[in-house]
Amino acid sequence: MIGKKISKTVGLMQAVIGGASMFFAFFLFYNVFSLQEILGASDGHIWFYLWILIIFGLLSVISGLLLFFMSNKRWCLA
Amino acid sequence: MVSRITEQHLKRNLGLIRTTMLGVGGSLSAANFVIIGEAAGMAGYAIVPIVIVCGFLSLLTMFSYAELGTAIPLAGGEYTFSKVAYGGFTSFLTGWFEWLSNMFYTALSAIGFAYVISYLVPQINIPLTAVVVVAVFAIINLMGSKETATTETIITIIVLAVLGIFVVGGWSFIQNAPPEQPASPVGILGIFAATAYLFELYLGAEAVAAAQAEVKNPEKNIPRAIMLSALILIALYTSVVVVAVGVAPPEVLSHQASPIAYVAEQTMGPAGAVLVTIGLAITGLAATNEAIMAQSRVLYAMSRDGYLPKGLCKVHKRYCTPHVAIIVGAVFTAIFAATGLVNFVVYAVNLGFIIGFSIVNLAVIRLRKLAPHLKRPFKTPLYPLTPIAGIAASIFLMLFIDPSVLILGFELIIVALLIYYIRMVGSYRIRVAFGGISLGLGAFVCSTAYLVVANIIVLHGASQGLATLAFWVLIFVGAIQILAGILNLLASDR
Repeated sequence: MIGKKISKTVGLMQAVIGGASMFFAFFLFYNVFSLQEILGASDGHIWFYLWILIIFGLLSVISGLLLFFMSNKRWCLA
Repeated sequence: MVSRITEQHLKRNLGLIRTTMLGVGGSLSAANFVIIGEAAGMAGYAIVPIVIVCGFLSLLTMFSYAELGTAIPLAGGEYTFSKVAYGGFTSFLTGWFEWLSNMFYTALSAIGFAYVISYLVPQINIPLTAVVVVAVFAIINLMGSKETATTETIITIIVLAVLGIFVVGGWSFIQNAPPEQPASPVGILGIFAATAYLFELYLGAEAVAAAQAEVKNPEKNIPRAIMLSALILIALYTSVVVVAVGVAPPEVLSHQASPIAYVAEQTMGPAGAVLVTIGLAITGLAATNEAIMAQSRVLYAMSRDGYLPKGLCKVHKRYCTPHVAIIVGAVFTAIFAATGLVNFVVYAVNLGFIIGFSIVNLAVIRLRKLAPHLKRPFKTPLYPLTPIAGIAASIFLMLFIDPSVLILGFELIIVALLIYYIRMVGSYRIRVAFGGISLGLGAFVCSTAYLVVANIIVLHGASQGLATLAFWVLIFVGAIQILAGILNLLASDR
């Protein structure tokens, strides 16, 4: 039972971190809140940062969701 | 394959006029009259033929909707068609993108409303207003909004009347003082980009097909309503755009928060601007309400069919609404509405609908082969050229969608694939694989944290305090990744 709760908590946190990094990439690309200036990111480096953040975010979200949902049986897949 | 598929649960009470109004009203949104300005900036005076071309491109797929809508008169639209024609992953993917495009459409409607209002009240914060609108309508939907086709018809008629006044007033103005119209300076790529951008104008007309289970005499009324609504929309948007670029040059329109209100003010004075703003605000709110309802129903249906967690198909005991689906959808919508980025959201809406349109056209072709004897009260004319042309148009438009939206779409397809195939492949091997990946990510993040604290990676313009904060955040993220990796690797093979 405790293991299940830990798995759910860690999975949720990992998924949230992944989602946050993807939104961060999105905000960075569109320079929302002038993030590019704040981080001192030059135009040439933006795509590199985006690539890292998006891949990191995507993998984290998937891993986190796996951990969260596979720790119980509340899936109703066909 | 059965020769006739029917649904008995819903009452058929929509005649031709109300069904047509459903199609017209489904497409009318305040955002459509905001993006006209941006598109005018992209395409110049070529915006007029582009609006017509977009209408006819959309009509190609509407024929497919009409054929499937009359042959499979069940509620659910493209998700249902895809389930009957393909089943499995394709129907899951269709539902997935149907939800996403409706979610983005909700955000767009709310942002469009905020932009329209900002013409009269320039002080308002557009992202905040959009988020408030989403929150208010999410609550209304949670409590059980009694949305009826009659309300939709009334709102559509009001908006059509307002736009009619706008067109007549603007036309008289143009006749009295015809402006100079220099040749459009934009290139062919600008025109294609504007076509992909303006495709959004006609989205929503397929609402007729989605409501097919409630249409009287669907064999006749559905195809007629789809054609009529498409023709009305082409005439309406073309008239509005002709008047807009006739009164103000495209480059002026592209800098207006609400281009139509600006034009109305030039032709009919402040009263005209107020009238148009009120009309567009009403349609903006109605579109937001409908889109929130539509996206929650898609999430609910996918959960009910076993594609998404069961929690999403929970129904509120008191209000009898799918409250979890509404809240989840509203949270995602609010996040995108908070950006206030019209262009990104427009392209995201278009991408979702273009994928949906392609699947509907493919479903027509597949069902013609799989079920040649299925009763089809309406058949797509010039088959198979029409659905093939619809698919070709979709692929062509996709080429001109903003690259950042295409990357997002690609990621969403990967997520959809993983969610679906976890069941097919078995979760154990995937969990072990992601356990290893998480350990690698954790090690990478911890290494980055070390490089930050050792000043090997320098954060430009960041104070020492901010650098220390970044270090601890990275350590926390790395620890979570490593812990998640260990937990996934320790998963039992059940």
